[in-house]
Amino acid sequence: MNLIKTSVIGSYPIDIDTIKHVKAYFKQKIVSWDNYIKSAVKDMLNSGIDIISDGQTRDPFVNIFTRRLKGCRIRDRTEIIDKIEYDGPITVEDQKFIKTFIPKNKHLIGLITGPYTLTNSCVNLFYNNDKELSFDFAKALNQEAKILQKYVDLIGIDEPFFSMGIPDYGKELINTIIKGVSCPVRLHVCGNVKNVIPELLEMPVDILSHEFKALPMLFDTFNQYDVKKDICLGSVRSDKSDIESVDEIVNHIKKGIDIFGDRIKQIAPDCGQKMLQKSVAFLKLKNLVKAGEIINGR
Amino acid sequence: MFSFTKDQRIFEISGVKIGGQPGVYPTVLIGGLFFKGEPDFIKAENQIKDMLGLTKKLGNPSIPDFFIRKEQYIEKILNFIDKKIPKRQPFSIDIIEPDLKIKTLQLLDDKGLLQRTIYNSIHIGITNEERDALKNHTPNMAIIVAFNPKDKSPDGKIEILENGANLIDNGLINLTKKLGVKKILVDTAAMAPGDYSGAAIAAIPVIKEEMGLPTGCAIHNVVEKSKWLDDFKSIRKQVDASSNINIPMFGGDFTIYGPINNSNTVFPMIAWQDILISEYVENYFGISPDDSHPRRKLF
Repeated sequence: MNLIKTSVIGSYPIDIDTIKHVKAYFKQKIVSWDNYIKSAVKDMLNSGIDIISDGQTRDPFVNIFTRRLKGCRIRDRTEIIDKIEYDGPITVEDQKFIKTFIPKNKHLIGLITGPYTLTNSCVNLFYNNDKELSFDFAKALNQEAKILQKYVDLIGIDEPFFSMGIPDYGKELINTIIKGVSCPVRLHVCGNVKNVIPELLEMPVDILSHEFKALPMLFDTFNQYDVKKDICLGSVRSDKSDIESVDEIVNHIKKGIDIFGDRIKQIAPDCGQKMLQKSVAFLKLKNLVKAGEIINGR
Repeated sequence: MFSFTKDQRIFEISGVKIGGQPGVYPTVLIGGLFFKGEPDFIKAENQIKDMLGLTKKLGNPSIPDFFIRKEQYIEKILNFIDKKIPKRQPFSIDIIEPDLKIKTLQLLDDKGLLQRTIYNSIHIGITNEERDALKNHTPNMAIIVAFNPKDKSPDGKIEILENGANLIDNGLINLTKKLGVKKILVDTAAMAPGDYSGAAIAAIPVIKEEMGLPTGCAIHNVVEKSKWLDDFKSIRKQVDASSNINIPMFGGDFTIYGPINNSNTVFPMIAWQDILISEYVENYFGISPDDSHPRRKLF
């Protein structure tokens, strides 16, 4: 059996020093965001995680993209006021920065919020229908993905809205994003995916990632299918501050192995960790790594 | 030419009205004192007298903006305000350090000055202690700085006002109202030269149209920090002062124009701009200027 890698899903909590930003503003100076990215990445590195992300520190996962795509206007919810178009790299510079200080043996996942989730998170004031909007998002994200792949080891597409039902064009949307992308692609769909598993298994991606720790009933549901995709097993909760013990995580992974066998290629938190306290998020990652070492026989 | 579709709020502080449709009320001029820290009260008294003389002549209201940089100056400056400036004159206090803000609020309350106070300013750096102090010693009016380090565009400024851009727990407008401050002025946060500084001007009509609140900024800061202007020293002051014209031109209500000793240059420029705006909005929209407007004073 190949070694299982530890990973994160995406976001990671940081403490933003707003007073520092304001004081710099009054002096007409700019505070770089790099230290926040570094703070998130360092925690991932210090915990021993194999596949790290940029921590999505700049914004919630929707705004990261809608802030930079043409046609979007940030309000309480992002409003779509014009045709969605790519306006240049969105997360690429942050990945380049991270590459300057992470060890060579660590992998970097580039994160993209999926077009269906972006569509459902925005207020559409421009397009006649959501399908048209989703595809324009997908085309814009494809341009980001094609650049991003040069700087990361794999790409993660985050599509939580798929858990509530995948539209008949869902597979085509994912195909649109990954057209011309040659690195491995992971599709993360948190929430209860029990009703969409057949569609998920048909998705043109290498790895499926789900919230198995909060929703252990998914083991039984997945067990009814012939799973030919690799799996990223959600193994610590992202919605609760209780820190899972190493033993608890090991048992959870073993249960996953019973169902998926060597299809389990990654273990990770159930979802982004942004809502947790930084110290809690870190301890969860640390225990995840320790559990991974036990499973890998190290 | 502007006339906003959104109803415009007009707030009054000690007889000075701020806000409304362009062309009704004169642009309010906020001039700073004690930038360098150490207060020179004799000079300040004369400067404020001159400033108020310009208001009397031209109509544009004056707000002296008192910088307080050290704790040792708080009481001295508030005593000066209490004793040396006209009893009904509104003023603003301009403090960065949260601890000094808290101490100043307490003392403003003790001296019965809060009704004339414009609190400059509330922003994303507000601390819990400062929130408590504002609840306990609530100033009549506050300036909110729409500074969003994530997004310096007009949209980013609206975001910080509406929901705090995930940098604080609430939008700055709601947060300020919850603290009990009902009269809110929005400062569109002029950034450093080359750092999307023009967005501070572009944001004025956007914020007024969407929120209807009195809006302005300190656009002169951008000029002040423009190093290339060092080659044009003889005209620097005029360029600095003239930048303020952008504010009424884009529908704004107040300008924080920098050192009070620029008053002689800024007041006539803004009065002229206000007259021009009044002429075209009255002609086109039928909006008449208030009796305090420079067009009424001078024609």
